[in-house]
Amino acid sequence: MTSPGTEERPTGPSPEVASGPTPEPGRRGRRDLRQPQRDLGFAAALWRAVEVFRAVAVVYAVVAYATREEPYRNPVLGWCVLALMAVWSLVVWRAPRRAVWLLVTDLVLACGSVLATLAVDTTALAAATNTLPLVWPAAAVLSWAVWRGPVTGVIAALAVGAADLVVIDPVDRATLHNIVLLLLAGAVVGFAAELYERSRRELAEAMEQAAAARERERLARDIHDSVLQVLAFVQRRAAELGGEAGELARMAGEQEVRLRALVSGRPRPTAATSTDQGDTTDLTAALRSLSSSRVTVSGPAGPVLLPAAAVADLVAAATACLHNVEAHAGEGARAFVLVEDEVSAVVLTVRDDGVGVDPGRLEQAEADGRMGVSLSVRGRVADHGGRTSVWSRPGEGTEVEMRVPRPGRPPRH
Amino acid sequence: MSDDAPPPAAAPPSEQEGPVRVLVADDHPMWREAVARDLEEAGYQVVATASNGAEAVRRAAATSPQVVLTDLQMPGVDGVEATRQIVAADPRVRVLVLSASGEQADVLEAVKAGATGYLVKSASRPELLDAVARTARGDAVFTPGLAGLVLGEFRRMSSEPTVDRATGVQSALTDRETEVLRLVAKGLSYKEIASRLVLSHRTVQNHVQNILGKLQMHNRVELVRYAIATGLEDPAIDD
Repeated sequence: MTSPGTEERPTGPSPEVASGPTPEPGRRGRRDLRQPQRDLGFAAALWRAVEVFRAVAVVYAVVAYATREEPYRNPVLGWCVLALMAVWSLVVWRAPRRAVWLLVTDLVLACGSVLATLAVDTTALAAATNTLPLVWPAAAVLSWAVWRGPVTGVIAALAVGAADLVVIDPVDRATLHNIVLLLLAGAVVGFAAELYERSRRELAEAMEQAAAARERERLARDIHDSVLQVLAFVQRRAAELGGEAGELARMAGEQEVRLRALVSGRPRPTAATSTDQGDTTDLTAALRSLSSSRVTVSGPAGPVLLPAAAVADLVAAATACLHNVEAHAGEGARAFVLVEDEVSAVVLTVRDDGVGVDPGRLEQAEADGRMGVSLSVRGRVADHGGRTSVWSRPGEGTEVEMRVPRPGRPPRH
Repeated sequence: MSDDAPPPAAAPPSEQEGPVRVLVADDHPMWREAVARDLEEAGYQVVATASNGAEAVRRAAATSPQVVLTDLQMPGVDGVEATRQIVAADPRVRVLVLSASGEQADVLEAVKAGATGYLVKSASRPELLDAVARTARGDAVFTPGLAGLVLGEFRRMSSEPTVDRATGVQSALTDRETEVLRLVAKGLSYKEIASRLVLSHRTVQNHVQNILGKLQMHNRVELVRYAIATGLEDPAIDD
């Protein structure tokens, strides 16, 4: 740079290019983390509701026990059981998390408190089809339901119900009614908790995917700004050096194309249109993966949508044509893949600038199987109602044109 | 587009008023320096470099280059917008887009905005110099990739013909122009196209030039129509 105008050369801005996009996704990342935490808070609220119920149930049991007029057979034991219930309710309330031992103990105490009724007073309590803890054992059932869903909820309800059946005699309609209610509570609350848990997990997954997509986009941008530039640069410079460096250039070029295809492989066009015509994909985008230092792929800027099966077959056909170019077109031949989006058809052309064949010998070559791929090409194209034509002349390369009609277009008009 | 492309290395341009003045815009310092160095070694005068679109526009106005060589993806004002502003400020400036591959839509927008050529960054030094020389001469630099894009764009435009009828602007391609464009897209050189279609090299060149002119004209008409539709909403405009 020796010319007078070069003072204009800028100095600063490149670092901002490298570091620019990074902070923003980071900020987004933190926001994503906060979301599941709020969900955990919701689950905690569910547990808290059960605890509140448990506390109220203790108070209810104490009040009912204290206000009964008939004497107990063993009033002290009754008070002890009630005290234990209160202490346990407090323990569970203060417990930082729902460990398995806590839940098991909870259920054991629930059943135990019911059975303790026998020792405190048999007849009087049972006559009212009530047990000493009253509704308190339901808290254990609800805990189990919230824990692992309806199955554990019902198991706990069955355990408490069994204890009820042991204590209450004779078993009447009201008792059965109470047990059925308990079972229902276990099942319904368990189902709700499970539903909530599943949707929470799905939401978390969806958010994770969205975050991954954003991260991928950021990476793609970063790679585009850095690695791809360097690879293209290496390719260009090394090619000028020739010799072994020429090989480096070729490799750098191929990696550039591959990496680019990788980072730009966004499902954007398919996602936008898959609803209106079944499964369609962008033919041009699919073909771009074939590009290399010797293969140029060109087509319209917008997506060229065809059914996924047709795209797969056309890509396979183009690949076969390119193999053919490699095998027969001669050293250093280049290939050009062109996609044209016509009103009623999509035209895919694979042309090479190689040695070419005499038109008369083309059929001969085909018959000899020397261009055997053309058979599979024709077959694949014909499968989708298309036509294939081959043009070649010595010294002017070979051109394979595949014309596939657009499905669904004619009936619409 | 490949490392062993046939176009001959360009001789340093011999314009009547000294070396051709070039501005190089690319946000990647490595590229900027390398391209500028190549151009200077080949006898061009690099009057300025820019690391983003806004700088390119400013420095183009200050240094009045004949050729602007620009990347597309740049921070802030990108290459497309820079091209639009540079060409608007001085229609004589020729813009050659030097872009990484895989930015099809952007390339098309840049050409519609007034760029007259497109080259992928992986192009070899002789290809680059040749492209700059052609751009400086006022010729369009059509790679197969760009031809494919433009071909697709005209097809898209022809599917919404109301624009032409309303404005009376002839922006559809003639059959011959379409034929030429398809051959360019299939990788034939102008010389090969000339011999295949039995035309002179210059005629092929003119066809390509006209194709580009029609695309840019169509784009301007569309912009005006858009401005009218959104800004004025005057139904009397399309008589």
